[in-house]
Amino acid sequence: MGIETQLIGDNVLVTNLNKLVNWGRSNSVWPCTFGLACCALEMIASTLANFDISRFGSEVFRPSPRQSDLLIVAGTVTKKMSVMVKRVYDQMADPKWVIAMGSCSSCGGIFQSYAVVQGVDQIIPVDVYIPGCPPRPEAVLAGLMKIQEKIRTEKLNQRPDFKTGLF
Amino acid sequence: MAVKTVIDAIGKIHPDSIIKQCETQGICEITLAADAFFEVMTLLHEHKPFPFDMLTDILGIDRMPRTPRFDLVYLLLSTKNFTRLIVRMEIDEGQDVPSVSSIWHSADWAEREVFDLMGIPFSNHPNLQRILMWENFEGHPLRKDFPLEGKDFDKPFDPTTIQDYC
Repeated sequence: MGIETQLIGDNVLVTNLNKLVNWGRSNSVWPCTFGLACCALEMIASTLANFDISRFGSEVFRPSPRQSDLLIVAGTVTKKMSVMVKRVYDQMADPKWVIAMGSCSSCGGIFQSYAVVQGVDQIIPVDVYIPGCPPRPEAVLAGLMKIQEKIRTEKLNQRPDFKTGLF
Repeated sequence: MAVKTVIDAIGKIHPDSIIKQCETQGICEITLAADAFFEVMTLLHEHKPFPFDMLTDILGIDRMPRTPRFDLVYLLLSTKNFTRLIVRMEIDEGQDVPSVSSIWHSADWAEREVFDLMGIPFSNHPNLQRILMWENFEGHPLRKDFPLEGKDFDKPFDPTTIQDYC
């Protein structure tokens, strides 16, 4: 019938560790429950039934940064909040990825102001930028698929956490 | 009208304290002289039978080329008969304003906000610190002569320069 019939007997599946690990990581990217402004509502909408982020294995928004793999910086990063954003990122365990969601966290957006960080990449390394003000949930899913694509093409020994000896 | 009796009572006790009197959007507005400010505010709070027992907000306005430079606007409400009164005072830069937080507790945070963004010092305030900006922030951002982008806008931002309680 299905794959079960093939599993009878001594079958061997051949792959390399790099692909296997990346396959596992890319299909269980757990985001951190972390929202700063109106982008957070679009991020929440992408988890609901209409858009359903669980199709990509990312429905488990962890309430602790120590259990999460992905930090979606959803909204305006004010300079006063930047300390906390940095702290949440530092508390996340490797491997970890960052999405800068929306114009504000990508480049400051409309807030060319004394109080707003002009792009969260001045504080933490960013993997994927999602444009839009705010981006639609489809754009969030597209950004997530970009992250998955990036994870699948990664070499484990070239990851920054491996190079710094934290792997 | 209820507000008129209050203003007449102030005029009797503290003559020449009310510089100007007008009405905007159906709300009575008085401009006070700085010297009798605290006494008049105490009187407004304790006036019978309808005391202005609620301070809704305090506003600071920067009218930069003008001297005196700032306007302070106090929005008062009486919860007994729901009349409102706007109290305005013109002050210059560096001029000391007595805090009304001993009269209305809501003035505590409102005065901290005015101090933070406008740089108006309030005397006898229990805890006059910044409330919105971080503690080592330089300048007062809602002043007219403050640059919109702030200091060092063209340089990369370093979060370790932010010192705050967090």
